Amino acid sequence: MTAVRSRMLSAAELDGFGAELDALRERIVADLGAEDARYIRNVVKAVRYTEVIGRALLFIGIFPPAFILGSLLLGISKILENMELGHNVIHGQYDWMRDPQLQGKTYEWDIAGTADSWRRTHNFKHHTYTNVRGMDDDIGYGLLRVFPEQRWKPYRLLQPLYALLLALYFQWGVAAQELEVGLVFKKRKTWRELWQEFRPVGRKMTRQLVKDYGIFPLLAGPFFLPVLLGNLVANGIRNLWTFTIIFCGHFTANAELFPKSSVFNESRGHWYLRQLRGSSNLKGGRWLYIMSGHLSHQIEHHMFPDLPARRYALIAPEVQEICARYGQHYNTGSLPRQFGQVLGRIFRHAFPSRPPPRQALVGA
Amino acid sequence: MPSAPHAVRRPAATRSRGLRRLLQPFVAAEVFDFWARSIHPTLAWDRILARVVEHRRESADAVTLVLKPNGNFAGFLPGQHVNVSLEIDGVRVTRAYSLTDVPRADGLLSLTVKRMTGGRVSGELCERTRVGTVLELGPAFGDMTLPRQLQAPLLLAAAGSGITPLMSLLRSLAAQGMPVATTLLYWTARRDERCFAAELAALSARFPQLQVHYLLTREAASGADESEGRAHAEQLAHTVPDLAQRRVYACGPAGFVETLRALTADRAAHFQAEAFTLPELTADAGGAVRVHLARSGRTLELPRGRPLLSSLEENGLQPVYGCRMGICNTCACGKLDGSSQNLRTGSRSDEPEQALKLCISGPCSDMTLDL
Repeated sequence: MTAVRSRMLSAAELDGFGAELDALRERIVADLGAEDARYIRNVVKAVRYTEVIGRALLFIGIFPPAFILGSLLLGISKILENMELGHNVIHGQYDWMRDPQLQGKTYEWDIAGTADSWRRTHNFKHHTYTNVRGMDDDIGYGLLRVFPEQRWKPYRLLQPLYALLLALYFQWGVAAQELEVGLVFKKRKTWRELWQEFRPVGRKMTRQLVKDYGIFPLLAGPFFLPVLLGNLVANGIRNLWTFTIIFCGHFTANAELFPKSSVFNESRGHWYLRQLRGSSNLKGGRWLYIMSGHLSHQIEHHMFPDLPARRYALIAPEVQEICARYGQHYNTGSLPRQFGQVLGRIFRHAFPSRPPPRQALVGA
Repeated sequence: MPSAPHAVRRPAATRSRGLRRLLQPFVAAEVFDFWARSIHPTLAWDRILARVVEHRRESADAVTLVLKPNGNFAGFLPGQHVNVSLEIDGVRVTRAYSLTDVPRADGLLSLTVKRMTGGRVSGELCERTRVGTVLELGPAFGDMTLPRQLQAPLLLAAAGSGITPLMSLLRSLAAQGMPVATTLLYWTARRDERCFAAELAALSARFPQLQVHYLLTREAASGADESEGRAHAEQLAHTVPDLAQRRVYACGPAGFVETLRALTADRAAHFQAEAFTLPELTADAGGAVRVHLARSGRTLELPRGRPLLSSLEENGLQPVYGCRMGICNTCACGKLDGSSQNLRTGSRSDEPEQALKLCISGPCSDMTLDL
């Protein structure tokens, strides 16, 4: 386990660790320019072209090859838009360009959840309190027990099934996350409050449903059905892929969970260390990086959430070197290996399990 | 406000606004713009894009750009300015420039840009902009315009590129047959920095009621219409003996405008001025700056170089925030003008920003926030 893979740092070491990462960050920020701008505009271009070609093919989706290729392209378009464009732009990675159409505060993406809700649950809660129990709602998405520290209850026994459903309908899970429907049943929230919170989400959901399953199928006239099914398949492909990538980011075997006390008066170095120890990377080629929105570099993303994601792959060797010097485990592996570990957690912790003794990140 | 001939232009495209409003819920502007650009370089849903159709030298250090805006440009009044945005090394930069012509039937706009030493935007516009380059414009703004009824004689005082809005006023007056006696005092450091010299000569030959005086600050005067030195009282008394009846328009650097204000504001019939100021360079000096909040209309005195978020909170405001450490982008808010410093990296920004992280940014100068 990680306890033996990473050593405890002294307060001075922790400061040094933070300072080195801060310096790395500043070097990249100073270097941002035309090349990064060109890259994200090419991503926009790829999103637009794959969408148009995919949708055009679905219009003649009565021919099976066109249906398959069309669904696939539309799925790829949505994956690219959600991950490499939307997720990264909403983080403010391209705010420095001052392009009004690439601003983190205003960008809205092609997915059921609203960008506003995402900015709160993801950009703020998840990124500030990564893997802190009781503060990061992304731990198991309020549905799954992936760490032994989460309380076991008998209904957890069926969680492999919940995981499959969450994977298939991941965009709806993400959209509903902030609503915390469970609180209503625990009487900590009224139905009226839930309804108030649901309204903007409901509007966005309706817009997405009408677009994908209303307008585009209707435009196809007699070929209504293949277009509708193609959109369903494309959304499904995107859901399964994003679920897979995102679960590999924080729930692999060696990812750590932290108690609330770890974030009180947290230093910059400690914050960096927590990001490292709570995240895991994916090894792979350039296409895996792009199609995962560079969440293949979850560690770098968590350390520098507002740096353009294409930079993560470039700075990864340096981050790895810094971690090695400070005796910190850099959690990375192939997609099958990491996802296998995630599945392992989902199955293992469906049953009662006991947390191992934890070591603090910092020595006295 | 100008008299009738120069009413705000209503381009054909603005008439279709009703249709656009109807389609609004079904159109994502960024998707429309992406495909529109491949049909025509300035076609856009609601952004004002303009193509450079002419690029000519106006003086030793200034060029005039003639622009053809798309139908989203809603027109302007002589004397007004527009924000011009372009991308330099991946970063969008914005500067305000005066429109130098009068509104034309063909909708073309003119900007005259003086090359500033070390100026990134003026350098780009003067040296690297070509016919065909597309720039983004903002809507016209500014209230240094002519009154609806012209009665009092006018004094136009320009220093350097301060000539640009006044040239627009002068051209507007010429188009109306120069209805009132008008004097232009035009300061430049050297003779070859003068813009519009040929046109000004032609105008003063055509209209006896127009007087043009050139003033030089770093070169000896030689012509009959030239004199030397910065603005001072005797010189004004000599060239404009009827100052008390005049309506004064002054435009130039802040120091020049202040001098003119001191010399004429109490004596002339009316005084109106606009100054363009370079960002103030004392970044880390202590003290306070005035932060104007554009949406709430409030102006606060906030300490220089302290995080804006906490300063605003101390003044009873509650901007939205998240991590308070520059990660989550929740508190990011538009900065319309002024200089700010990223307190974590120490880097400075003198540009307007669409997303200034309030939690880690401190003000370096007076500024306006979109709050």
